[in-house]
Amino acid sequence: MLPPLALYIHFPWCIRKCPYCDFNSHGVGHAGFDEAGYLAALASDLEMSLPAIESREVRSVFIGGGTPSLLSGAGAGHMLQLIESKVALAPDCEITLEANPGAADLRRFAEYRAAGVNRLSIGIQSFNDTALRALGRVHDSSEARAAIVHARHAGFTNLNLDIIHTLPGQTVPDAVADLQTAIEFRPEHLSWYQLTIEPGTVFSRNPPILPDEDTGWEIQEAGRELLAAAGYENYEISAWAKAEDTHCVHNLNYWRFGDYLGIGAGAHSKLSNPLNGGIRREVRQASPAEYMRYSGTTAMLSSNYLVEGCAIDLEFMLNALRLREGFSSALFEERTGHALATIRDRIEQGQDLGLIEIQQECIRPTVKGQRYLNDLLQLFV
Amino acid sequence: MQNIRNFSIIAHIDHGKSTLADRFIQHCGGLTEREMSEQVLDSMDLERERGITIKAQSVRLEYRAVDGQIYQFNIIDTPGHVDFSYEVSRSLSACEGALLVVDAAQGVEAQSVANCFTAIENNLEVLPVLNKIDLPSADPEKVIVEIEEIIGIEAMDAVRVSAKTGQGVPELLEQIIRGIPPPKGNVTGPLKALIIDSWFDNYLGVVSLVRVFDGAINTGDKIRVMSTGQNHEITQLGVFTPKRTVRQTLATGEVGYVVTGLKDINAAPVGDTLTSARTPAATPLAGFKIIQPRVFAGMFPVDSGEFENFRDALSKLKLNDASLHYEPETSQALGSGFRCGFLGMLHMEIVQERLEREYDLDLITTTPTVVYEVETTDGQVTRVDNPAKLPDPGRLKEIREPIIRADILVPQEYIGNVITLCIEKRGIQKRMQYLGKQMSLEFELPLNEVVLDFFDRLKSVSRGYASFDYTYLRHQPANLVKLDILINGDRVDALSCIVHYDMAMKRGGELARKLKEFIPRQMFEVAIQAAIGSKILARTTVKALRKNVTAKCYGGDITRKRKLLEKQKEGKKRMKQFGSIEIPQKAFMAILHVGKEE
Repeated sequence: MLPPLALYIHFPWCIRKCPYCDFNSHGVGHAGFDEAGYLAALASDLEMSLPAIESREVRSVFIGGGTPSLLSGAGAGHMLQLIESKVALAPDCEITLEANPGAADLRRFAEYRAAGVNRLSIGIQSFNDTALRALGRVHDSSEARAAIVHARHAGFTNLNLDIIHTLPGQTVPDAVADLQTAIEFRPEHLSWYQLTIEPGTVFSRNPPILPDEDTGWEIQEAGRELLAAAGYENYEISAWAKAEDTHCVHNLNYWRFGDYLGIGAGAHSKLSNPLNGGIRREVRQASPAEYMRYSGTTAMLSSNYLVEGCAIDLEFMLNALRLREGFSSALFEERTGHALATIRDRIEQGQDLGLIEIQQECIRPTVKGQRYLNDLLQLFV
Repeated sequence: MQNIRNFSIIAHIDHGKSTLADRFIQHCGGLTEREMSEQVLDSMDLERERGITIKAQSVRLEYRAVDGQIYQFNIIDTPGHVDFSYEVSRSLSACEGALLVVDAAQGVEAQSVANCFTAIENNLEVLPVLNKIDLPSADPEKVIVEIEEIIGIEAMDAVRVSAKTGQGVPELLEQIIRGIPPPKGNVTGPLKALIIDSWFDNYLGVVSLVRVFDGAINTGDKIRVMSTGQNHEITQLGVFTPKRTVRQTLATGEVGYVVTGLKDINAAPVGDTLTSARTPAATPLAGFKIIQPRVFAGMFPVDSGEFENFRDALSKLKLNDASLHYEPETSQALGSGFRCGFLGMLHMEIVQERLEREYDLDLITTTPTVVYEVETTDGQVTRVDNPAKLPDPGRLKEIREPIIRADILVPQEYIGNVITLCIEKRGIQKRMQYLGKQMSLEFELPLNEVVLDFFDRLKSVSRGYASFDYTYLRHQPANLVKLDILINGDRVDALSCIVHYDMAMKRGGELARKLKEFIPRQMFEVAIQAAIGSKILARTTVKALRKNVTAKCYGGDITRKRKLLEKQKEGKKRMKQFGSIEIPQKAFMAILHVGKEE
């Protein structure tokens, strides 16, 4: 049986690239970006990709970036219409669009909503102007607040806020205040995670002074308490939701090792072979110009390979062990095509180390296992 | 024979010995311009990189002198490091003379003194040579006085050269003819040839460098190794010019190589005498003393599956390094490996480097230790080269440690520092002498203090100006104890060391602090304790990591994240798992880093 399928659409431009960001994003510059050209490229990409997903139902669509909220309302509508006409979307399909408070007006949000977007993910990062400047964001705290208000006015009832903590110069009270403000807006979902310095970014070449490890830990502990008290459930390492039905369907699909088709510049796909269950990964050209030139031809892929053997198990663990719920032996066997018995010794090792627990047939990380997830994952390398 | 000159070049490291040899080769046309790579005598990669000579090498040159005659020069190269002083004496035993090369700017150093005395003991004619005369800081007059005062040989006529520019080299070649006597020997007597060195060549088998004292060797001759009584046929012989050049005969007084098709260098032991199988000589040549390894350390493959490869590599290295000793050792912490014996610290480093580089092995080397004589209450005396093998304190009657005589030369302004260091290292001052601006110091020091970090410390307290050489004197009783290291309460045998009781507290504290630096923070708190028996001397703690988790992971490039984990795992392979704690390779050598800034 094939795993559930999700669709990811990448939008590769931002007003300006942030110094901590290691995603495929490019500042638009003076020339702007070619919206019509890019939408056309997406259309031919999708057309060419259809045989790979046959008529499988798509449970979620995620338009990520970059800054997809640079798309005009009409452009977004056009794109979603195309998708609906080509792809079998589930009736309750979650359709998320990522928005930057620096590119967020009420009219555009309303147009997105009307076009069928039913979940908005806003990259707030912080409500503190000093912290926002340190992160190189294009928006300030009042724009951050306005974006949330606009989203509600535009009719979005499923909202995610991205907040980053342990920022340059941040104290424990600063971080708590950021989170408190976010909670006051009662978002359905919160992604709250620590700033990490990724290789290849401006911050990795020119590292900012970050709070020490103990401060980072205090922030995390204080934040957890605050979120729990506000009724948010920590269902994944950095994801909190107000209720079971507002868990992010799209991200859950990644974490449960489902399939996904990624279209757009630099997008990644993971697709199971219906005949033998083998896993293929594809990556599209990261440069928007190259992608647009080659879209619809085989040259639009920059890499394309099979994941084989125990690499599959490790990739599964890398995702599934992030979930508080963990995974069942059935899910492991279905997604990897391997018997659980082949990794039983490693699971037992994890239990001995107090990193894994088994409850009601579910294999899941303990609190300690979540805290030292990289150590836990080492067992499966 | 009257036109043969056999000589060595004695010099301190960096005083230009190899460069001078190169200059001779070039001057005598031993190699074409194209073949002349710098320092041709140092052929091993490692030797060239470190600028030191490890193995004895020889080269035969034909020199047309001013008097119109052709002279045969056999230059036998000598290592310049204290660890290899034994190879120096083997080279010198094949010569009638030696050039003492002294850097005209640096002056006389302990190494040259020690080697020069060896040459004089061997009745060699020593010609002093002042090198680097082209340097602005050269002070030949001062150095001449030093040579005369410290070594006690006439130096007024010392040739002044620059091996780098070639200045003075022709004069030196002429002086060699006048100053070094030709070999003496019985041309018609039964063959007596001294084995100076033997090494293993992949194509030829065992190759021996020999000096013919009496008689001659011809290709096809049946020869006998005198110590073993075994007969072999000479399949090939020749000389190095420095290219290997096949000859038919090696005559009396000549130096060259012989090949007999042997596969084991122990069958052609260095220092042994070759004679004719048909008309053997009655008595062998005097030979020279083979020294025993003085420094021992455990070596363990990081990956226990590499043990067999490690054994193979050691046996191959041993083919060319008779001074390397090894026997299997098992450690609770490190598994199966070998206890290896070395001439000294540099020898140990070189062996480790060669094993890692040439045989692609990943090794953990434990703290080096010297050989103790241990007397138990039942009156038995054993030699202990491994702290783990020290008998129970209850059964110990006495531990005797090796004592050396250290000869140190140091400029006056650093004398205080050097004496302080020697006293800290439990040294006893025997002699101190003013020699111009230099001081000559003689100390008796326990070898176990010297193998740890003495050489580095000496260099640092004297800003690199002190030079040092040592000879073994005796074993002497001392109040020694085994210092153990406990990691989270468990004794790690590979981290134990034997120290003097008075130093135990200090060393234990330093070691615990150093280990704290080397052991990475992990999921658990790691307690490091230094102890004698059940008495804890010091404790440090490696704090647990607060967490170790990737903050964010949404679909996308999972393969990159997987590869990152795989790379981390690869890095962990270089650590040794001890229970649930990971200890990196270099922690096992922590004691060598005590007192050094990282």
